[in-house]
Amino acid sequence: MLDVQHLSVWYGVTQVLRDVSFSVNEGSVVALLGGNGSGKSTLLNALSGLIAPKSGSVRYLGEETAGLEAHQMVRRGVVQVPQGREVFADMSVDDNLELGAATRSNLKEIRRDMGDVFDLFPALRDRRTRAAGSLSGGEQTQLSIGRALMSRSKLLLMDEPSVGLSPRMVDAVIDAILRLRQRGLTILLVEQNVGVAAAVAGQAHVLKDGVIAYAGRAKDLINNPEVLASYLGR
Amino acid sequence: MRLQALVSNRSFLTLLFGALLVLPAFANQYTLFVGNLMLLYIILASGLNILVGFAGQLAFANAAIYGIGAYGTALLQVHLGWSFWAAAPVGAVLAMVIGTLLAFPALRLSGIFLALSTLAFAQATQWVLWHWQSVTFGAGGFRAPPVNFGWIPIKPDYGIYFVTWAVTVVLLLFTWRIMRSRIGRAFVAMRDGEIAAQSLGIDLLTYKAMAFALSSFYAGAAGALYSALLGFVSPEGFDLFQMIIHKAMIVVGGLGSVVGSVLGASLLVYVMELLREFKSTQEIVFGALLVGFMVFQPNGLVVFLKRWLPGWREPLHLAGHAEPKASVLSGSFKGATSDERPAAERA
Repeated sequence: MLDVQHLSVWYGVTQVLRDVSFSVNEGSVVALLGGNGSGKSTLLNALSGLIAPKSGSVRYLGEETAGLEAHQMVRRGVVQVPQGREVFADMSVDDNLELGAATRSNLKEIRRDMGDVFDLFPALRDRRTRAAGSLSGGEQTQLSIGRALMSRSKLLLMDEPSVGLSPRMVDAVIDAILRLRQRGLTILLVEQNVGVAAAVAGQAHVLKDGVIAYAGRAKDLINNPEVLASYLGR
Repeated sequence: MRLQALVSNRSFLTLLFGALLVLPAFANQYTLFVGNLMLLYIILASGLNILVGFAGQLAFANAAIYGIGAYGTALLQVHLGWSFWAAAPVGAVLAMVIGTLLAFPALRLSGIFLALSTLAFAQATQWVLWHWQSVTFGAGGFRAPPVNFGWIPIKPDYGIYFVTWAVTVVLLLFTWRIMRSRIGRAFVAMRDGEIAAQSLGIDLLTYKAMAFALSSFYAGAAGALYSALLGFVSPEGFDLFQMIIHKAMIVVGGLGSVVGSVLGASLLVYVMELLREFKSTQEIVFGALLVGFMVFQPNGLVVFLKRWLPGWREPLHLAGHAEPKASVLSGSFKGATSDERPAAERA
């Protein structure tokens, strides 16, 4: 579904990603791991069109998409769930979901998709009129995922959904991703938490200093102390 | 019909505009003039609220754009001999074009910096109106020719009133529709988090330009009508105090609310008329209202309507907190409001 070849990204004179290549198959969950400053969020931003890569190719469903802007990517079904959730704190849950459909115009379909999101995350249904900022961290994560789904996304780019959550809430996030996987959604998941990656992802790639340093099955990572120690600082 | 349905935004607006439509039958000349001003300020406040309240762009150029609409319309008649009916749309579109250009600085600047740069633009406009005397006639202003209603047997001030009424109704219905559309949702998303908005597929340049274009067109149209209402145009009608009036209207009424614009504009025109004999107190009262509301009720009067009238809907308006929360205005001075997540750690 997504095929990244020799991708390089620079911030001014600093090269952040060097010659990164990997692919994501349709219906799979792929994890991108790495410590702080390893370039994983940059990679996600480059794929979602928030920043432009300097060289390399990103093919999505057979189409070259490197250099397209975020709004063009969203129209093609590639949506990022931003780090730190970024829900619209002062607005209601309903309004947040509606804003996820900012690129769509058919209100009837939008309503129906909102119903789907509530089926996926029933906790949100009970809080429809509550301000998003008053939700718990886990619920906000669910809301930010639901909001991304509202644009009818096919490929979800998730940037550290587990960050800053209590262990119980991390379980809720894992559960949510598993349910999305069950629905056939393709997910590229950026994480620092190896546990989350191992629980939901098939393949995993470890980034270190802008280079893919390890690629393999996510489950094997947990039992690979060498990788954990040298690349993830554990 | 259920009682709830009676106290809706729609019935409020229908009632108000119904009353304004029949007003000329009972009004003397002064009341008619005040009614006309009310309509003009409803246009101005609705336009500014699109930009500030919905799209979250803290711009201070509305009064200047209003002036460009008025000058454009009146000068086309004076210098080129156009009729009002040809000059007014061109004046409004001219204001829109110039206002849209302000979206480009807005792409890089936000909050206080956008406020300052648009304020500088407004002052530069004032300077041009004062000093480009061969075209604008300078500080003293000039008379705009009376509007010709041709074969329609109506006194000009009544004619202007009904034209303004019709334009206001059309623009309000348009605002209502567009704020409930994809465009309105994109504006609100942009207001409440540019990064989140971008990742949801909202092209910031397009939507900022659209917000500036819409609000400038409203201001330009109001300016065109104002030049016809007064028959006289001068720079001081479009100065900083005028800007404060517009801003106070949307803050008092309710940022990001269509009814809020109408409510704020109607109320403050009334206050303005109460104080007409004490002109110097107007600035103090408007300034105080603006500051007072920003501090104590930043979401405006519609908050009370939302709280007390169960049938009242404010789609996409801030989700009615019991206590005043960070608004667009105060939020932009504080920087990122998205960091305030009171309950994030509660889990």
